[in-house]
Amino acid sequence: MAGSVGAAVALWLVLDPPLARLLLEWLPYLARGFSMNILISALAMLLGTLAGVALGAMELAQARLVRAPAIAYVQVFRNAPHLVLIFATTYIFPFEIVAFGHYIPFPDWMKAVIGLAIPASAHAAEITRGALQSIPTPQWDAAKGLGFSRIEALRFIILPQCLRRALPPWMNLAASICMGTALASLVGVHELLHAATDASTAVSRTDFTVLTYVAVLFAFFLFCYPVSRLTQRLERRLAR
Amino acid sequence: MQDAVRDFIALAARIGLNFDFLTSPFEVRMWLDGMATTLVLVALTIPLSLAGGISLAAALTSDRPWLAGPARAYVELTRNTPTLVQLMFTVLVVNMLISQALGGAQNNPLGAWFWLVAVVSLHVAALHAEALRGGIEAVPATMIEAARGLGFSRLEVLRVVELPLALRTALPAIVNNLVNLVKLTTIGYAVAVNEITYASLMIWTQRDNVVELMIVLLVFFSGINLAVARLGAAVERRLAVPGFGQ
Repeated sequence: MAGSVGAAVALWLVLDPPLARLLLEWLPYLARGFSMNILISALAMLLGTLAGVALGAMELAQARLVRAPAIAYVQVFRNAPHLVLIFATTYIFPFEIVAFGHYIPFPDWMKAVIGLAIPASAHAAEITRGALQSIPTPQWDAAKGLGFSRIEALRFIILPQCLRRALPPWMNLAASICMGTALASLVGVHELLHAATDASTAVSRTDFTVLTYVAVLFAFFLFCYPVSRLTQRLERRLAR
Repeated sequence: MQDAVRDFIALAARIGLNFDFLTSPFEVRMWLDGMATTLVLVALTIPLSLAGGISLAAALTSDRPWLAGPARAYVELTRNTPTLVQLMFTVLVVNMLISQALGGAQNNPLGAWFWLVAVVSLHVAALHAEALRGGIEAVPATMIEAARGLGFSRLEVLRVVELPLALRTALPAIVNNLVNLVKLTTIGYAVAVNEITYASLMIWTQRDNVVELMIVLLVFFSGINLAVARLGAAVERRLAVPGFGQ
């Protein structure tokens, strides 16, 4: 599928050299846009995963005072549209932070990172909770019987199993956050979709517009498809 | 009603929240319109996505390659590209090509609203189709053989044996997809469909009350999604076959 689309586009470009030159001219600009998507999704996943693991552990805490806020957080932000959260962080956070008399700029792309890290953390929390709960409790007792302390049991017996179970859903989450980065274009972050709009407005040729947006779809597809294939493979291997 | 609104504004002001826009009939109208639009979008796209998902799942599991191949390609393309990019692609590219073919935008009956409904429904349909396919493949082969032995055609087996069972297996995933669908409707903002996010943005750029409207937005979407999840759980309970898996 991707191959045949690629072949068709290649043929089109060979048949229309001026168009090919035009695309070549704009390609670095589009690539710079896409690097922003990659940066935002990587940082959002990093922050979201760190916060999510902590929240997931909190959701299983014995103390209600610890458990309740985590559950409420996850409920609200799992159900909130990504776009709404990106708007929230963009409009609520200041454009610069004053720390010790220094003005640190707080650019829109960083706000988009946080806007996506919030839903990522809520989903990562659910993944963590699910993975922790999926380990049969007798394993804890067995570990204790073998002389492991609770921390050791967690470190050597429970977590390695959790990691394997949590990996496929975590990768699904990564793909969905990566695709969510396109939403940042709506708050003025200069990413791929934004770059494509700029390019098509600047050139203002129908065939170039078509080609640019096909390229945008293609870029996201090439980025997400291998991840989703790998996820499927891992899922199948774990199901056995 | 008027008094209640005034009381609410005063009460909110006391804890530092600015809901003054509720006194402006124009803004209230736009805001309520936005909520209604979102609800209409959800009510329209849920059945459309389910119908699309069932058809796609039927095509995916078909033994005719000319049917299964394109369906698979469509599902993979849809699942691995952002919905917003798909929406911009259809509105800016496909719609433009249609307009050109019809000799001008004034002859093109399709607008942003149509493309929003189409893209969201078809995107979620692909997600449903994958869930249903998993369910269909989980139906024991002996059951299908038995049905065929009773003289059912391929399509009849799908309709009366495979789909009802697949639906039960796939329900949790489908409810998850529907929650996703509700959240996806916000991309209507990008093509100026006046759904609740768009309406809220129009108000907060005038009044600078982002936090206030954000709270409402979060409550609004939590409410819809809670309802969707509850409904899904109720359907799940109703359809549960005692002793059959799950």
